[in-house]
Amino acid sequence: MLTVRNLTKTYPARHDSAAVRALRGVSFDIADGDFFALLGPSGCGKTTMLQCIAGLEVPDSGEITMADDAVYASARGLNVPANRRQLGMVFQSYAIWPHMTVFDNVAFPLAHGAQKIGKAEIDERVRRVLDLVKLGAFADRLAPHLSGGQQQRVALARALVHEPRLLLLDEPLSNLDAKLRDAMRIELRQLVKSLGITTLFVTHDQVEAMGMSDKLALMRDGVIVQQGTPHDIYMRPETAFAADFMGRSNLIPGRVSGSDGMLSVETSIGTIRCPAPAEGLPEGILVIRPQAIRLHGPSIDGLNCFAGRVERISFLGDVVEGEVRVGAGSVKVVIDPYRLLAMNQEITVELPPERCVLVPAEGGTTT
Amino acid sequence: MSMKTIGHSPAWLRLDQQKVVGIVLLVVIGVLVLGPIAVLLRSSVAPPNTMPLETLGITFGSFVAIFQHPATPTIIGNTLLYAAGSVGFGVIIATWIAWLTERTDIPGKALIRVLMFAWMAVPPLVIGFGWILLINPGNGVLNVLARELFGVQGALFTIYSFWSLIMITAFAVVPTAFVMIAGLLRNMDPQMESAGKVLGGSGFAVARRITLPLLTPGLFSIGIYMGMAVVQAFDLPLIIGLTAKIPVMSTRVFLLSVPDNGIPDYALSSAFGVVLLAIALLLMWAYFRAIRSGERFRTVTGRGFRPKPTALGPLRWPAFGTAMLYFMIMALPLLMLAWTSLFPFYRLPSMESLPLASLDNYHRVLDSALVQRALVNTVLLVVLSASLVMLLSSLVAWFSVRGGGRFGRALDVLSFAPTAVPPVVMAMAILILYIKTPLYGTVWVLIIGHLTIYIAFGTRTMTSALIQLHKELGDAALVSGASWATSLRRIILPLVWPQVANGWLWVAAHSARDLTIPLVLMTTNNVVIASVVYTMWDFPDVPGAAAVSFLLVVALLIVVVPVQLLASRASTRGGG
Repeated sequence: MLTVRNLTKTYPARHDSAAVRALRGVSFDIADGDFFALLGPSGCGKTTMLQCIAGLEVPDSGEITMADDAVYASARGLNVPANRRQLGMVFQSYAIWPHMTVFDNVAFPLAHGAQKIGKAEIDERVRRVLDLVKLGAFADRLAPHLSGGQQQRVALARALVHEPRLLLLDEPLSNLDAKLRDAMRIELRQLVKSLGITTLFVTHDQVEAMGMSDKLALMRDGVIVQQGTPHDIYMRPETAFAADFMGRSNLIPGRVSGSDGMLSVETSIGTIRCPAPAEGLPEGILVIRPQAIRLHGPSIDGLNCFAGRVERISFLGDVVEGEVRVGAGSVKVVIDPYRLLAMNQEITVELPPERCVLVPAEGGTTT
Repeated sequence: MSMKTIGHSPAWLRLDQQKVVGIVLLVVIGVLVLGPIAVLLRSSVAPPNTMPLETLGITFGSFVAIFQHPATPTIIGNTLLYAAGSVGFGVIIATWIAWLTERTDIPGKALIRVLMFAWMAVPPLVIGFGWILLINPGNGVLNVLARELFGVQGALFTIYSFWSLIMITAFAVVPTAFVMIAGLLRNMDPQMESAGKVLGGSGFAVARRITLPLLTPGLFSIGIYMGMAVVQAFDLPLIIGLTAKIPVMSTRVFLLSVPDNGIPDYALSSAFGVVLLAIALLLMWAYFRAIRSGERFRTVTGRGFRPKPTALGPLRWPAFGTAMLYFMIMALPLLMLAWTSLFPFYRLPSMESLPLASLDNYHRVLDSALVQRALVNTVLLVVLSASLVMLLSSLVAWFSVRGGGRFGRALDVLSFAPTAVPPVVMAMAILILYIKTPLYGTVWVLIIGHLTIYIAFGTRTMTSALIQLHKELGDAALVSGASWATSLRRIILPLVWPQVANGWLWVAAHSARDLTIPLVLMTTNNVVIASVVYTMWDFPDVPGAAAVSFLLVVALLIVVVPVQLLASRASTRGGG
């Protein structure tokens, strides 16, 4: 549905700041009907990417194709303006026009867009989409008299009413409070998937990205670091950056020895055995999720089992986070809230080899 | 998703309304702004006694003549002394009243604010005429009263002195200075003053030791800004300064290009114009330096904090009295004009004369063909200037805020440039540029003049309005499939409508009261109210001039005051 090839964009230096290479050759594909997330920390280029796809920003070079129609191609000097790309977009601020009613806001793409549509049909389609987002009763209300969640629904209805080829979502949940955000996350995905609209979603929140998307691309410094399903990237990070960004993890640097199947990694907490990655590495960083670590009573032997002492416990309710000193280092662990552990208690930590992932020592620069 | 059919338009049309509008805009603004400036520079090096655009000769003789002439140091000295003196007194009065209204519990704050805004609408020309009637050495009312009541010999005051010119100008700049200083006080973090009070300082000690030092950088930059305005001022130096034989640069430029008798010397007046422009540029540079260093002193924090006003106690009413004293001084010349307009011949105000008062002068002036023509011209000038200024400024602001890049910056700089050019210099340059075209002698040349002068203000207003408007509001319209023009018309314009209306009013009011452009470019056909008032006064038809002046003031107040009332009510409600 959407193909992006080698997109670059550099913001020229200004008197008060150096040039910013926001995009350095980004390529990715979104399949028809997929819910795709662009994830990354602020300044990684994801918003620039979205603006380029929307046509609100002109890239320096590369190619963007939507459903076999090129909308941008630097080689041919082609740049279709935003209003002819047949998109729907939900902005971060929602951009609900405060001088119009909910109905007029939603009717705008039909009334002033490229298609010529009669008044009766506009009426019918706006009612239908407002019902879809459960705002049927609010049609005549002025936009400023809406709550944050309602504004978000108006923005969504406005982005869907003209049946766009592609729906763009720019951090649509970041302006909602935590509870509403959890509810909207599920609702938004269900709604979009039920309509079968291809969706590109930009966020800096890995929980949103994982919870909502079919596929995601992780960006950093203007390049895509890794892309795949949320499960893939969480379980098989290729860089320390990807591991760290996708959730809490223990990143333990070490020297690698051995080959074929199982490797041995010399680390501050001891020698850890783990499966070999595709390429041989003399040094690397071991990624182990706190949830992956098993905790046992003291003095238990086994593969990747180490004696440790509980050093810190934070009781957060649904989970208990802890830190266990092992050898010359320490590991973060997640403890079952119903299991009573005391400070300084002696325990054994087990790092199951199949849950240990070895990544290159320099995170993020490989592509 | 199925493909939708889109309405097809020809490729060249699709090639951006936006680009086409942008290029047209750049050309229009370029001609408006760069044309006169280029002509000014050209004329200043033209040989004397030639039409500057009809010769190729280049000489620096005019500059040499200016700097060799014995009167030149006096003129420049006068100009600077005039600006420094009137701004000095004006800022002191304005700071006092602004501090009272913003930081103390003085009664009648709303009244003071509205009166200040109302005074901004009164043309300095009219105030000047009123003062002449009040304190001219012969039959000025105050002088006659002093003679009769206290037996003063000769004249107590005289309008025709440097002091009078400075003080009258000082009173005239107070309203603008008040608005700027009140804004400064409102933006100042009140916690600094609260700290002073909590630590035991009395109200006046806090004002003197904390408020005033914190305000100093801001006051300094406001002072320079006002100085820039006074150096460029033309009407008061014209009607008071010329009789008093206090030539300043702006009147010098005027007399050289529109002499009472003899041939205009465009080369010499342009050279004078360039010197005046240089002084204005120097002040502008100083102003930008001052606000930049002022930024370091910025004490603006989150809104919402309103300082507890200093309690003046028993001094509340006396303090209120000092503010009212200022308004009474300002009202005197207007009352004098109103009185004068009621009698066929000038007579001193007295109870005995009152039964003779009539509206005959008003009937007479309204029946005169000249005044009728001036009325039509004024309406045309005011409505067209204000509308065109706001149209151009809105577009320029859009390109400079949203368009970005070199193009937007070029438009921004171009439209700001006229700020540095004194209106009388601009008027003269427009005169030289258009004198051989059919536009000369029509209202259109006046409209061009006001467009050039007021585009800077309009652009500032619309730029700040657009900066506050979230970019995504416009983007959302584009992504929804609307064209650029539709997004401006349906989304952007309705959202910035209050600022457009406000800017329109400002330009309209200034266009109606401006004397510089109409006087320099005046012919028998394109007279407007301001130039008619001046001509009648000069003729002299003092009662007629008084009647027309009074009508002009009333018309301006009717337009400006209700809007200010609304705005001030809205701002009190908003807690700002």
